[in-house]
Amino acid sequence: MEKNNKLIELKNIVVEFDGERVIDDMSLYIGDGEFVTLLGCSGCGKTTTLRVIAGFIQPQSGEVFFDSKNINGVPPYKRSVNTIFQRYALFPNYNVYDNIAFGLRVNKVPEKEIEQRVSEMLKLVNLQGFEKRSITKLSGGQQQRVAIARAVINRPKVLLLDEPLAALDLKLRKDMQKELKNIQRQLGITFIYVTHDQEEALSMSDTVVVMHEGKIQQIGKPVDIYNEPKNAFVADFIGESNIIDGVMEDDFKVKLDGKSFECLDKGFAKGEPVDVVIRPEDVDIVPAGQGMLRGVIKSVTFRGVHFEILIDVQDFMWMIQTTDEYKEGQEVDLKIDPDAIHIMKKSKYSGQFGDYSTYSDEMDALSEITEEDEE
Amino acid sequence: MKTFGKLFTFLVYLFLYAPLLVMIIFSFNEAASTSVFTGFSLHWYGELLNKRQIGEALQNTLILASLSSITATLIGTLAALGIYHMKKKAVVKAYMTVTNIPMMNPDIITGVSLMLLFVFVGKTLGMQDSLGFGTLLIAHITFNIPYVILNVLPKLRQTDPHLLEAALDLGCTPVKAFIKVVLPAISSGIVSGLIMAFTLSLDDFVISYYTTGSDFQTLPTLIYSITKKPVKPYIYALFSIIFFVILLMLVLMNVMQAKSDRKNARKNS
Repeated sequence: MEKNNKLIELKNIVVEFDGERVIDDMSLYIGDGEFVTLLGCSGCGKTTTLRVIAGFIQPQSGEVFFDSKNINGVPPYKRSVNTIFQRYALFPNYNVYDNIAFGLRVNKVPEKEIEQRVSEMLKLVNLQGFEKRSITKLSGGQQQRVAIARAVINRPKVLLLDEPLAALDLKLRKDMQKELKNIQRQLGITFIYVTHDQEEALSMSDTVVVMHEGKIQQIGKPVDIYNEPKNAFVADFIGESNIIDGVMEDDFKVKLDGKSFECLDKGFAKGEPVDVVIRPEDVDIVPAGQGMLRGVIKSVTFRGVHFEILIDVQDFMWMIQTTDEYKEGQEVDLKIDPDAIHIMKKSKYSGQFGDYSTYSDEMDALSEITEEDEE
Repeated sequence: MKTFGKLFTFLVYLFLYAPLLVMIIFSFNEAASTSVFTGFSLHWYGELLNKRQIGEALQNTLILASLSSITATLIGTLAALGIYHMKKKAVVKAYMTVTNIPMMNPDIITGVSLMLLFVFVGKTLGMQDSLGFGTLLIAHITFNIPYVILNVLPKLRQTDPHLLEAALDLGCTPVKAFIKVVLPAISSGIVSGLIMAFTLSLDDFVISYYTTGSDFQTLPTLIYSITKKPVKPYIYALFSIIFFVILLMLVLMNVMQAKSDRKNARKNS
């Protein structure tokens, strides 16, 4: 599907609001037909990036290219991108049909063709028979579908989606994720998708762009982002991670908590301090004496598929996910295989994340569904 | 307690409507007396029709109210848009305070100060008599604008700020996007602003009294000058007609409202 490798390119984009830097020297390119997700928490600059591409915000400096043409000064109504807004922004004075037909009517497409294309769209989003329905009489999911149809009917090269599923409940969100992915495959349109939901990002995208403080932290395929996070921020933001201070003793050998572990990483200097990432599901709990690290179980929480267990090892709180049940206060050992260990270079985020001593606060901060209000 | 409540309600309505009732009854009186009802007659209504002065004043009033309310609605809507798009909260507050002053200010002060301004400007320009229709129109537009702003601004704040962006995104130029999407969303505010401005203009006496000249009389200023002399019953006839026109309008508005409510209810189900 990748005809042109750089359909959209951002070069050294800087955006400031009232002297505050929202996007800090960001460069990124997006290939034709790609499903790219901008992932980050509220205020990281992801929505602003989207609005720069849509043309609603002019960057202070930097260039935006579309199909290798600079589109910096081009107003939104002359760009061949369409947006799906966070709260849909459907036109309340028009019914479903007129909302979907809006873009074609503006571009003076003959009514006959409009009729045909609208009915195609209604079929695509499963809303046949809703033509005359007033927008205000639709459920959230139906409004979402109208918003998709209204944007997609114009056959844009790029569809920009600003947290389109944030307002839907969990079950509906899962269904819509699948539908969106299907629509993207069917039409072959490039999707640029903004979300704060890491699960959504991992399950839908070809490429995930993790953003924080106006900067790109990591770009990569979902699997790579999960398995090989670049720094402590990414490791912590994507899924759960135990991040422990370590020292590289040699290639394939790392020392943490005073013990030497085998690992699969190399290329670090001897004696270099590093961040060691170990995912909670990759640690085995074994009876005391049979593992590498000794700890005491501090809490056990049932999460449905697994138990979430916090274990205190030398004043560092590990999180471990297992299907076996343990009791609080029990003394156990941790067994860690070489392929469970991922080594990262030290970054400015080192030491901020990955210790579950302050677990509950951290969860609150991440699960908070906040509207991004960056203007 | 219940009877007391009923009695109280009756008294309230009595005090509200007894004067009107008396006036309406005496507008049908045969004689010119306001104390003895000598018999039913449409005599005063006939006389009213013969008063060219009153017909003229009515026409003047309607022209003035239409022109001033439409102009004020245009200016006020644009002003509301300007205020809505201001970024700094302190600036918005300052503008709103300035907007509110003409509404809080006693009419007589607004009227006299406007008159002084018009006379001063007129004298400076070397005009003999500057007061007339022009100055009256300017005065009415001035006191109507704040009411339009106050009706339109909340509607703007209620509309989704992304509507305009969505229209731009779908290919509309900014002007077209405004007309197709934002204007319909705030139209109810514009209409209610227009109606309010129209009725205020229709009703105004104090400001009109000071800012109009001798050659242009509105109904309120004319009635005032007539009532300074001994009151003739044809004035009662005029008042009765005005009262019934307003009553009719209120009934019509309520009926229309009820109809559209029923229509909406049917749509909802």
